[in-house]
Amino acid sequence: METKIGVFLCNCGEAIKNIDFDAAVKEIAKFPGVTCVNLSSDLCLEEGKKKMISCIREENLERVVVAACSPEFHEHAFGEVLEKAGLNGRLLSMANIREQCSWAHDGDVTGKAVELVKMAVNRVRLLQPMEMKELPVNNEVLVVGGGFSAINTALQLSRVGLRTTLLEKEAALGTGTEELESLCGFDTSSMVSAVEADKNIKVLTSARVMEVDGKIGDFSVRIRQEGGEILRKYGAIVLATGHQTELALDCELKLGLSIVSQEEFCRMLGNPSLETEPKTIGFIFDFCDENSRFPTLATLNNALAAKRRWGSEVYVFYKSVKVDSEGAEILYQEARDCGVVFLKSEVPPRIDVDNGQVKIKAKDVFLGEDIILVCDVLVAEELHLPTEETANLSSLLNIRRDSRGFCQEENVHLYPVASEKKGIFFVGGCRGDLDLGRVLTDISSVVMNVYELLSSGKILVEAEKVEADPQKCVACLTCIRVCPHGAIQLVRINGGKEVAGISDLACYACGICAAICPAKAINFQSYRDEEILAQIEAI
Amino acid sequence: MRIMNGHIVAFCCEHSAYPAADSAGRLGLHYPENVRVIRVPCAGRVDLIHILKAFENGAAAVLVMGCEDGACHHITGNTRAKERVKYSEILLKEVNIDGGRVRMFNLSPNAPHKFVRAVNEMTRITKESGR
Repeated sequence: METKIGVFLCNCGEAIKNIDFDAAVKEIAKFPGVTCVNLSSDLCLEEGKKKMISCIREENLERVVVAACSPEFHEHAFGEVLEKAGLNGRLLSMANIREQCSWAHDGDVTGKAVELVKMAVNRVRLLQPMEMKELPVNNEVLVVGGGFSAINTALQLSRVGLRTTLLEKEAALGTGTEELESLCGFDTSSMVSAVEADKNIKVLTSARVMEVDGKIGDFSVRIRQEGGEILRKYGAIVLATGHQTELALDCELKLGLSIVSQEEFCRMLGNPSLETEPKTIGFIFDFCDENSRFPTLATLNNALAAKRRWGSEVYVFYKSVKVDSEGAEILYQEARDCGVVFLKSEVPPRIDVDNGQVKIKAKDVFLGEDIILVCDVLVAEELHLPTEETANLSSLLNIRRDSRGFCQEENVHLYPVASEKKGIFFVGGCRGDLDLGRVLTDISSVVMNVYELLSSGKILVEAEKVEADPQKCVACLTCIRVCPHGAIQLVRINGGKEVAGISDLACYACGICAAICPAKAINFQSYRDEEILAQIEAI
Repeated sequence: MRIMNGHIVAFCCEHSAYPAADSAGRLGLHYPENVRVIRVPCAGRVDLIHILKAFENGAAAVLVMGCEDGACHHITGNTRAKERVKYSEILLKEVNIDGGRVRMFNLSPNAPHKFVRAVNEMTRITKESGR
């Protein structure tokens, strides 16, 4: 018997004007399998949905086509309507007769609208119902790192009730945060003691991740500690391995009393019993690394502090001051008002050391002349680089890094803290040069993401949305190689044959494997080959 | 094989080209009526058989539209699609279907103008080389 298909047309509150709906209804009713065609003007409102439910029940419809707005808006809502009417929510196909038909063309487009409905009818006939299933997940989180972002992420995760393990390679938490501390004025030791007092947080120091296996909800991590190796299970992994700084100095120049790093300069500023206060101070930044948010903030902050504390003459050599981070614009203005002199140069200044005095020579862009500055202290330019640990871990976890070696966001705008693999996140310095405001935003969004995934202890997924047919699969490993999300593994089925097994949890349902499989063994529900070809045949 | 019906089949990735096509409609940017959009979860889902079948069914041209280079939601989907389109060009040439009739376009969801430009360009090419 033919599948009973119901078509619901909607004129979107008469927003669709150039389609002759009466003629369209007559045409659509002729398609094979279409048992009823309804026209309404408010399908997405409660009234319309009620009418739809009663119609599905009365006519015993098996498949539904909705021809109205773009599926981007209400596909999900109409799926729920189907569920309420006792049909599987996936047995629905939408024809976009508004955005991509009526509004996109001049004149009467009834013909095209009918054809779009025909495409949807052809597709919906082949759709298969899909069940949802709950999969259990481990709700313990591993946070790798021991700096500001790692500690805060762990504290916030614990606050929302998730058990967390902090894994730090050093012997203690909170090392290497002095610069950040003096710039932003927070106290690391109080955070560390908060972590120690927290029952939800377990701290592993002098520990390293050796191997990671599994997928979201079920990562097994081999950790090497001083005493030996342990194997633990986690639901999600957060990388907070931070950044490292490197000085951009010529090799013959050495750090010392007169050439210092930002960190050393912070220490000088904090030292109440400094022997001689520097009279002239030079800063250099933004020549070697043009994407320098944190160094910019550090320079502005330290220049201002030196001016205020010692009243020294402060000169800043820069290529451009980028003030996109929070508070940087005000800081820059304040520094200028206080008398810090900013000197713009196109090429990095030349630095010579002469009898303990540093000579900086640069060509000022505005004066067009060379400037020679003899200063007591030079604060050298700092480069923000990813740590070795970030490199190690990203290759262990098999996640991408950007051209500079930082962790690569899945999508720069939409998913800034997620990797391309579900359940692996990164936060803070390991994903680029961030200011404190951004780091705090990162932490909150990671915590929200992890909470959403793991808090209930189970995840609702579409069962077998993408599935390899064990009869057809020849275990050629092509899909495993191409899967961008690492969701496919070889599994042994009954009878000892090894086939590709696609994890419902880790799969993003992109269909790349389905297109590339040479044996055509992979079945991608609702975008199967038949369903796509049926749409083409309707054209 | 059916007689060419002058249609352009556009496989649109639901993360970029599909919303771009939607916003073209919403902004009232008009484009030729002969475009038929098929929504796919990623440009990487588009297989050779889909492209060839579209021509077998009388399409004048086929567009595969995915995310911008380096911004694919599924990382490698758009590059795989590009390779596949390139290969399909070779196959089509063998059956005397001019290579210019299948094209890969990269666009972002906020680029409705690019969608319209791509469709217009394809329409022009098909008209010039005869329907």
